[in-house]
Amino acid sequence: MSTTRAGSRWVRADLRARKGPAALTVLAVAGIVAALITAVTLLEDGTNPWRGLFAQTEGAHVWIYTKDGPQVSLGGIDGVAETAGPYRSAPVTVAQDGRRDPAALRAMPATPPAVAHPVVAEGRWLDPAQPDGVVVERSFARSLGLRIGAPFTIIALNGGRHTLYVRGIADSADQGFYPEWTPGLAYVLPVMLDRVEPVQARSEWVTGLRLDDPEASQVVSQRAVVMLEDGLQRVYTWREVRASMELDNRLLGTLLALFGVVGLVAAALALANAAGGRVLGQLRDLATLKSMGFTKGQVALLLLVEHGALGLLGIALGAVTGWGVMAAMLGPSSVAAGPVLAIVAGTALVVLAAVGLPAWRGGRTPPIPAAPAAPPRGHLSRLARLALLVRLPPALVLGTRDAFTRRVPAFLTAFGLAVPMMMITIGLGVWSTLDSFKSHPEQVGQHASLYVRPGKLEPAAAQRIAERDKDVAAVYPGTDVNALAPGEARSVRVRALGGSAQPYPFPVVEGRMYARQGEAVAGQGLLDLLGVEIGDRVRLTVGGTPLIVRIVGRAVEPDQDGEVLSLGLDSLAEKDAEPPTYYALALQPGADPAEVRGRLLGESAEGLDVQAAVNPADRLSVIRVVIVALIAVLALIGLANLLTASALGLRDHAFDLAVLKAMGLTPRQVMATLVTGTGLLVVLGIGAGAVAGASVVTALIDLQGHTSGVGAGIGRAPSPVTLAVTVVVAVGAALAVALIPARRAARAQVPVTAR
Amino acid sequence: MNAVAKTVNLVKIYQDGAVPVPAVRGVDLQVEPGEFVAVMGPSGSGKSTLVHMLGGLDTRTSGEIWLDGKRVDTLSESAWALLRRKKIGFVFQFFNLVANMTVGDNVELPALLSGASPKVARRRRESLLAALNLTDRADAAPAQLSGGEQQRVALARALANEPALLLADEPTGNLDSRNTRDVLRLLGDVHKDGQTIVMVTHDARVASLADRVVSLFDGEIVDDGRIVRRRTGTAGEVIDLR
Ligand SMILES: Nc1ncnc2c1ncn2[C@@H]1O[C@H](COP(=O)(O)OP(=O)(O)OP(=O)(O)O)[C@@H](O)[C@H]1O
Ligand SMILES: [Mg+2]
Repeated sequence: MSTTRAGSRWVRADLRARKGPAALTVLAVAGIVAALITAVTLLEDGTNPWRGLFAQTEGAHVWIYTKDGPQVSLGGIDGVAETAGPYRSAPVTVAQDGRRDPAALRAMPATPPAVAHPVVAEGRWLDPAQPDGVVVERSFARSLGLRIGAPFTIIALNGGRHTLYVRGIADSADQGFYPEWTPGLAYVLPVMLDRVEPVQARSEWVTGLRLDDPEASQVVSQRAVVMLEDGLQRVYTWREVRASMELDNRLLGTLLALFGVVGLVAAALALANAAGGRVLGQLRDLATLKSMGFTKGQVALLLLVEHGALGLLGIALGAVTGWGVMAAMLGPSSVAAGPVLAIVAGTALVVLAAVGLPAWRGGRTPPIPAAPAAPPRGHLSRLARLALLVRLPPALVLGTRDAFTRRVPAFLTAFGLAVPMMMITIGLGVWSTLDSFKSHPEQVGQHASLYVRPGKLEPAAAQRIAERDKDVAAVYPGTDVNALAPGEARSVRVRALGGSAQPYPFPVVEGRMYARQGEAVAGQGLLDLLGVEIGDRVRLTVGGTPLIVRIVGRAVEPDQDGEVLSLGLDSLAEKDAEPPTYYALALQPGADPAEVRGRLLGESAEGLDVQAAVNPADRLSVIRVVIVALIAVLALIGLANLLTASALGLRDHAFDLAVLKAMGLTPRQVMATLVTGTGLLVVLGIGAGAVAGASVVTALIDLQGHTSGVGAGIGRAPSPVTLAVTVVVAVGAALAVALIPARRAARAQVPVTAR
Repeated sequence: MNAVAKTVNLVKIYQDGAVPVPAVRGVDLQVEPGEFVAVMGPSGSGKSTLVHMLGGLDTRTSGEIWLDGKRVDTLSESAWALLRRKKIGFVFQFFNLVANMTVGDNVELPALLSGASPKVARRRRESLLAALNLTDRADAAPAQLSGGEQQRVALARALANEPALLLADEPTGNLDSRNTRDVLRLLGDVHKDGQTIVMVTHDARVASLADRVVSLFDGEIVDDGRIVRRRTGTAGEVIDLR
């Protein structure tokens, strides 16, 4: 009790004396904790809306698309609890404000089914009294800007236009969100679908299977594949739906987690540095406390409480901030308590461990107050000798000597700056990777910037119009089909584009481009999914026709988690390849896609459907915000380290200053001495950090690319200019920060009395 | 009545590298309650070492230390710390005030540590600072005080836990004559109130304030003499005798 009172006085007084650095510590820790919580929340399933949607809609685990109504009883497969459908579904195009979006119109009864029933979020469900009503899946409705009562104009495959009216907007776990998952989903009554698409052959049938055990979806879908044989179009399971809903969050989460974990190390280092430096500066006070009757353990505990409390305060602040940001962005229930508690506990442990060592050292201070607190001196470091040798000014020599007299703090200072600098460099690398997506879209598979669908026109006419345009450099006919892989529970995308002889320039980063019929390139995701390597032969089934190709290379593949096989149109069976469903248009350098699109629409009297390619960088632009925020936090950490270093340097010199002045150094030279001392470490640390960051960044981004299926080969290091500017700015800012206390110290009248 | 402090054949040998440095070599010293002992001797004779050992700041190599009739040289470091809270006050040559704490807090700290309630600690601090003429500096930082003022504060702090034994290591070593006089007057005053004091000094005139002067040379007591006091002698007069 008595020690608590006395101790708390001391802690309070000490904190009051160093408000600035203390606040910095709190902020840095808070930033890191907030980043970690954000990361975990984004990575955790809790943010994935799939779970909630699936539960709400009592979703189906497996979705099966067949040409005709399935002739076999899918409900009879072992493990299937209930079935939804089969529902008839027809592909249509939604024309809305000059946009054209692909949609699947699904016929559903007026009484929603028990399984996989869409949950109406706005408006009402389909009503036989209003046959022109349509219920639109929510993400699709949002993307189209649809509200209840809005007209919903669709163009059927035969070109006929129909105007329906939005009666309801519903949540569904039947498929992923639009536009990541296409086509968009809309529900109509069967009578309406018959009117829109009377031809049975142009539609397909959709059956959902709800299983007793979600883990059985692989087995069940394989059963279905075998039973349905040629009738089967494609299959997907709840896993694909879930994966598609979490797509961007995962990448962001990984980035944040990387920065958070390394940042935590940096913050712990900064904390240990700050506590250690403070303890070194307080040895006399600690001795005095002991002479008054504080025990070794109590002194250590005091220090632990003081410095630990700052860290814990930072953790609390960060937890609240992180939770607040996530709750604001994703809703209050998105943050799972478990991981957040784990982060709080984990960072608290790290913080206590970081300040534990300096605290323990402080506790071991001998109680005799005369204990000298002077830096070890004597030998000139090798570097200082070198400085003398090349006849540097005396201030620089002295500063150089100072920089390395205390080896451990010198190392900690340099290292403490190197780690944040390394992370900043990595952040800049991510930034420049996004920039390179933008400036070289062909390197991420976006050689073509416009995609033309024939729409009302004949495919040949569409091709002619496209080829005539002066800004179109090349036209690649293409078609996307779904293929079933043997033993896989789902379909993969096969993209046939251009001919095998004049292939579309996919960005092949491993192996080679396909050069003849029967060869293909694949994304990393597909290689991983099928467990094949470059050079292997794969056998897929496209609408009942076998497709056997040799994979000769790996391409960077930002679509579909990399689970895409790309090949020439001629490698596909005639029935699937002709006619092409779209044309990919590569433009002349410098041509404006929007302008070309306008011209093409004009030429075709709005008959063509022209879409601009969506650059993956656009989808990831939020990452730039995150990078800026993280750089700010890392800069704080670096600053905290710097303040510690310069405070320590000053303390070591407080009593030398008078002597230096007496030796004939001007205040300016004294200042230069002090700044050189810290500046040298700053330059070393920042330089090392930048070099380390630049040398790992490409590999790191490629690693992330690999795991996300896009594949290695996208990583870019920051440009030398950016890096140089960053280093110069960091060093400059650091020197400016070191200059302020040095200036004050150099000017101050220093008493020559003993310490 | 027990001696406040007693040493029996006390030895301290610093093991500085390969060469052992004997700082104190078999000191037998007994300090009676209410006594004011001055320890004198040339530099390096082991005065500080002796006083530090008496307060448990340093461990003895061999011999015995007794405080208030209890043997203490065998105590652990933390037991010593607990003992210091209750029984010992230290004044050092360089004041050793906690730099970040105000004058008032510096004085209250040992009182709190010895178990006094905040209210009692505050009252004690007020009376001590008033006695030392420092009431108006209570909220100042130590750095804002002159050396003499700082040493007066240090003295107040040493007395705040009402120690049985006040140990002072050259309390005037860093002060000019005017401040020396002030500090010595205070020491004389508390001594008159019955405080037992052991004070290290170089200065014979300062030592003459004590009841008894112990002279150390090379770590051994070479002289232990009681001063026959002039009845009217005060610290001020001692200094004025030049
Ligand atoms: N920590 C230590 N390590 C090694 N030797 C020490 C240590 N402290 C003191 N000594 C040595 O012990 C001897 C006695 O030192 P001490 O400080 O007690 O002398 P002193 O009488 O107080 O001197 P002064 O009047 O200069 O303060 C000296 O020879 C000194 O060098
Ligand atoms: Mg001494």
